[in-house]
Amino acid sequence: MTERQPLSELELILLRHGTGPAAPPVPDATASATLAEWDRQDAALAALYGPIAAEPLPATMRAALDHAVRAEAAPRDAWPPRARIAAALALVALGAAGGWGAAQLPSAGSATQTAAVYAAIRAHQTFVGEVTHPVEVKADQAEHLTRWLSKRLGHQINAPDFAAFGFVLIGGRILPADPGTAAVFMYENATGQRITLYAAPGDGSNTTAFRFVEAEATQGFWWVDGSLRYAVVGEVPREALRALATAAWEQLT
Amino acid sequence: MTVLDEIEAAIPALRRYAVALLRDRTAADDLVQDCLERALARRAGWRGEGSVRGWMFRILVNLHHDGQRQRPKGVQLTLVSEDMAEFSRPGAQEGHMALREVQAAIARLPEDQRKALLLVALEGMSLAEAAAVLGLAEGTLASRLGRARASLRAATGRKTEKAARPRDEGTVQP
Repeated sequence: MTERQPLSELELILLRHGTGPAAPPVPDATASATLAEWDRQDAALAALYGPIAAEPLPATMRAALDHAVRAEAAPRDAWPPRARIAAALALVALGAAGGWGAAQLPSAGSATQTAAVYAAIRAHQTFVGEVTHPVEVKADQAEHLTRWLSKRLGHQINAPDFAAFGFVLIGGRILPADPGTAAVFMYENATGQRITLYAAPGDGSNTTAFRFVEAEATQGFWWVDGSLRYAVVGEVPREALRALATAAWEQLT
Repeated sequence: MTVLDEIEAAIPALRRYAVALLRDRTAADDLVQDCLERALARRAGWRGEGSVRGWMFRILVNLHHDGQRQRPKGVQLTLVSEDMAEFSRPGAQEGHMALREVQAAIARLPEDQRKALLLVALEGMSLAEAAAVLGLAEGTLASRLGRARASLRAATGRKTEKAARPRDEGTVQP
């Protein structure tokens, strides 16, 4: 009888938790006692841990859900942030592989560059919709803006002129970057479309050709030139963006 | 219910399971947060096979497994607030288990058994559902469950079975 015990327990488990046969076997006295014991085990677990399920959700979980709800309501943010990162990185990889012109293979510093281009896209997406504070310092304080951003960037930088493309400077801001601090300029055209020029300290890697990156509707061209990494980002057609990036490259270097 | 609604509805159970599994509320909520974010990020690719709840439990179990591989087992002691221990006051009706004993016994179970037992006994999943979450054959799960139930009984139970202290040392050192 003791030899049958393990099999009988297994049968009981199938009886209790499985889909079960059409006519379940009638438990004998031992089996009934075992089932009662399991009832007590389940009741103890419910008493120990059940109350947790009745608690309100922690704020961080609430926030993640709310963000997802908002994102579903607004088509442009239809992808949650992590998916957007993945998409951006995937497309950076594609861009690097199929880049136009004399695109070089990603150098050892490509991870840092990738992080920078993602930061540029995030910066653009964060501030492009800002009505009241798209920039920290407005373009009417041009001299102060240039001096401040150059100082924080650790490198002299003058906002490129995109007037030929219909984009005028709104102003700029600084953002944390890794390494260092990034300088961000935002431009706007007559229809209210905005583009972002992002400049951050480099990682010492060599000059690269333009690389194209795309995350949902946001597109960007980025390049490394000596001590700085740059990106021009916006929701404008790729060819227009390339023209802007070329103009920026000509004026910045 | 949209997928988003179902994701939200699954969270309380995921938290309950994670606390019981990890016995550390902070670690449990971190795990559930990661699980939630992954589910939100991947929900577009979810094709509706099985339930959202089962899918999220699968994510949680996989994340937990990945986390275990990344860091060595730390010292994690049982943390359940005092008010829960009050359930085990003396004079509780006969047949009512001393919760502290159950808690300690669960902590001593090998983790594979704990994962299996909690899905079925605490979350009320069927063998089929729990097997899908854990990526096991139902038979494997059933025998794991049997061992967990037996250990629990031996640890909390009758005087006649006092001799049968759990032989398999759990993953947690008190």
